Amino acid sequence: MGSKSSSLNKIPNAQELMQETGFSAAHILRLYERFEFLDVDQMGELRPEDFGAIRELSMNPIGDRIISAFFSPGKETVDFASFVRILAHFRSTETNRTRDGAQPEPANSRTRKLKFAFQLYDQDRDGKISREELLQVLRTMMEMQVTEEQLQSIAERAIQEADLDQDDAISFDEFRKSMEKVDIDHKMSIRFLS
Amino acid sequence: MPSRTGSHSPTGIGKSLPERGLLLLMVLVLLEGSVIPLGAASSPDTGHQKNVDNHKAEGEKNHTKKAFPVLDLDYRHIQTPFEISLWVLLASVMKLGFHMIPRLPGIVPESCLLITVGLLVGGLIKLAGEKVPPVLDSQLFFLCLLPPIILDAGYFLPIRPFMENLGTILMFAVVGTLWNAFFIGGLLYAVCQIQPANPNELHQLEILPCLLFGSIISAVDPVAVLAVFEEIHINELLHILVFGESLLNDAVTVVLYHLFEEYSAAGTVTVLDGFLGIISFLVVSLGGILVGAIYGILAAFTSRFTSHTRVIEPLFVFVYSYMAYLSAEMFHLSGIMALIACGAVMRPYVEANISHKSHTTIKYFLKMWSSVSETLIFIFLGVATVDGPHHWNWTFVTVTVILCLVSRVIGVVGLTCVINKFRIVKLTTKDQFIVAYGGMRGAIAFSLGFLLKKEEFPMREMFLTAIITVIFFTVFVQGMTIKPLVELLAVKKKQEAKRSINEEIHTQFLDHLLTGIEDICGHYGHHHWKDKLNRFNKKYVKKCLIAGERSKEPQLIAFYHKMEMKQAIDLVESGGGVNLPSAVPSTVSMQNIQPKKPPPAKPVEKALPKMTKGREEEIRQILRSNLQKTRQRLRSYNRHTLVADPYEDGFSELLIKKQKMIALEKKIKDMNYYLTVPAAPPDSPTMCRARLASGRGTDFKPAQQQRGNKISPDPQSYSSKPAMDRVPTIQVDLASPQSPDSVNLMDEFRRADQQEEDQGLTMKAPSGQSGFNRPGEADRGREQQKLTRCLSDPGPSADEEEEEEPFLP
Repeated sequence: MGSKSSSLNKIPNAQELMQETGFSAAHILRLYERFEFLDVDQMGELRPEDFGAIRELSMNPIGDRIISAFFSPGKETVDFASFVRILAHFRSTETNRTRDGAQPEPANSRTRKLKFAFQLYDQDRDGKISREELLQVLRTMMEMQVTEEQLQSIAERAIQEADLDQDDAISFDEFRKSMEKVDIDHKMSIRFLS
Repeated sequence: MPSRTGSHSPTGIGKSLPERGLLLLMVLVLLEGSVIPLGAASSPDTGHQKNVDNHKAEGEKNHTKKAFPVLDLDYRHIQTPFEISLWVLLASVMKLGFHMIPRLPGIVPESCLLITVGLLVGGLIKLAGEKVPPVLDSQLFFLCLLPPIILDAGYFLPIRPFMENLGTILMFAVVGTLWNAFFIGGLLYAVCQIQPANPNELHQLEILPCLLFGSIISAVDPVAVLAVFEEIHINELLHILVFGESLLNDAVTVVLYHLFEEYSAAGTVTVLDGFLGIISFLVVSLGGILVGAIYGILAAFTSRFTSHTRVIEPLFVFVYSYMAYLSAEMFHLSGIMALIACGAVMRPYVEANISHKSHTTIKYFLKMWSSVSETLIFIFLGVATVDGPHHWNWTFVTVTVILCLVSRVIGVVGLTCVINKFRIVKLTTKDQFIVAYGGMRGAIAFSLGFLLKKEEFPMREMFLTAIITVIFFTVFVQGMTIKPLVELLAVKKKQEAKRSINEEIHTQFLDHLLTGIEDICGHYGHHHWKDKLNRFNKKYVKKCLIAGERSKEPQLIAFYHKMEMKQAIDLVESGGGVNLPSAVPSTVSMQNIQPKKPPPAKPVEKALPKMTKGREEEIRQILRSNLQKTRQRLRSYNRHTLVADPYEDGFSELLIKKQKMIALEKKIKDMNYYLTVPAAPPDSPTMCRARLASGRGTDFKPAQQQRGNKISPDPQSYSSKPAMDRVPTIQVDLASPQSPDSVNLMDEFRRADQQEEDQGLTMKAPSGQSGFNRPGEADRGREQQKLTRCLSDPGPSADEEEEEEPFLP
């Protein structure tokens, strides 16, 4: 671990990050390498264009949403710490160390994962997925292959199924309820190979 | 896979008359089955036929000496098919019988009961002094009995969990089976050598036959696994693990079997042979998959052109799959893997191409054949047990059984330790236990043993005895106890399979999300490759293999469509109960069912004669009850086309109608339809007519528009009456199977928040102006109800009949 700890030194707040996110040193290192790779002008921060340079991401229908999720509202750049914090949502839940009640919920808990996904739908951050927002998501995912009324039908149906309090929008709790059968731990985790 | 067992009989302790009759029937069939085949001469080729009994001229019993044999009995003539049918009948009647016995199906798995029946039948035959037919003849087994089961499994294989766990499954299948084979074979050999008590026979056993035996006995059997796991309903992950393993280990078994069989004669296996064996394994498995995939693609391609001959669509599926199996077997490749690959590859494309009926046919035929096959296999196992020849050797048999268990447990535990390092969702100890415990052996092992030639393997009988004992042990002991154990250990059970549209949307969304995150991390993982495959599929493959418009249909639409269909079918089947779930006016289905050209009139005409009086009444009931609140008057609806046979191709219309009805009901509540709605621009009559003339016949005008309604002279369509006031009318538009007009529908919904023109059930209030008397239609009371639409432009259509015309375009 000697070389690792020395390389860790160049990463600001490495220890705190590890503590907060639960990543191991190896993971942090690898993420840092990736961060530096993306950061073409070596500013120590990433901008949307840097993300845009990833080719496969531009082909992804919800690529822009993912990119914008990294940037907190109002900020133009993302530093390494925020980068890691966002990615911490996707750690596998099994490797959680036991925590006491005082610690905040870890980033990769099921609720936090769902919250992250929810926020990708809910662009205007009002805590609800409105019909329009759902339609937008469907539109981008379907990539112009369906007609407008098909989308409307699907959106209508989805809202009807999920909307329990009849406010014509999906709140986070309703979202969570509709996903209770889905194995989120599996579906929203990636293996960060070190 | 859905359970093949029927529902439990509701009867209690006492046996009613029908059941006594059934019991009697069973007994008769049993007797008949065992006694009658005695009469005929044995048929020359034992390869094919089940019952090759030697003759006693059984026919002589029934001969009446007449000058001219008016009535003659010639059993030999029909012997073979008769006996086959008898066996099948026996199997089916047995199945029926078991579910009539109270409580028994819950305790004992069906496979055990069937083996017992087989034992009984074999015993009966033996008692009758006859030679038991070699029913588990390997030809018959591998060519006729096994393929339906595997095809059923492969066609309905849940691809997603299978692929997600492919690494684990392969590890268990390949490494696990290898481990089992060598462990059992090697230790058996060691035990045989050191066994002092029976120096004579066991010492003869060479290492290679031992290894051969090990390889035969080590493979987990898909038939047995299916039979047992179907009844215990464990969660999807475990099911797919054990089942997938049982399917994929066929390649290993084939290679090992041939390898050891070949070299048993030679006596030694060199390193080169081992190396060749590995290559052979790759060839066998990949070759099998390739053969299957080729046939699968052929089948998908063929199904693209079947739109005019729907009745033979299922045939293509079956024949191509069977040929895939036979072709693979021809090259000594793994037939099972070929069959699985064929079914899995062709399914998404074939399902997009074939009609709903064909889909149902395929499903039920497969289930039926595989069910009968499975039943027969177990019965034959019983019969073959009675047949022998057996050579019981306590040491050999008990050591085999113990070793099987031990090696399975060690294998699973060891492999899981390795596998868990690579899995996101780890396998717990409970999971491992179930996987180990679920490793059952079955008829494949027996048939493979049966295939051995006596000359080369003098210990063949001993092998067979041991194999049968292991099979009995796993099926009876493990099969019976696994259910209570699952309960005891509180293993997660299978969840309700209903997927909601939300789950589907969000799952796709998450897929994209994870792919994106993986790209950001620069990590080419699972999602990345899956995404790439999907893109490739969408871009190239679907275009070739799916007919017409469906090729562009995204998965979500297909799913949505399926859901709507299911819901509507349920609705109709339940008689359209009052509590209709709110559904969206869906026009999606229309476009997806029919090609873009105007639909033929045929489906409509077919629908017409099917409407009976009773049905009609039923429909009217439904309509009335559901629309009561809106105080609509059933003015007119096309009763002849309202409820067609839901499985008809024109079913989509029904779908839409029902949904519109429901949606309308909902929307009407919010609507203020006492008409203060501003007029909307009228539809031009020409447009209306044009639409009608094009055969779509939907007259789909928003109520707020002043309609210059045309009663179209076109008999194939019907128009709604123009409305002066805009009243919400529920239009039953049974006509249009496809309407891009539906596009407008939604727009109109949005625009007109006060009313809606629904194309769908038209229950129009009678117009004040034109007295349309619909014979037998619903009440016509409130002529003056604001719901009516008057002819704004009387025009030529004033006294023509309108939409009540029972026509669907």
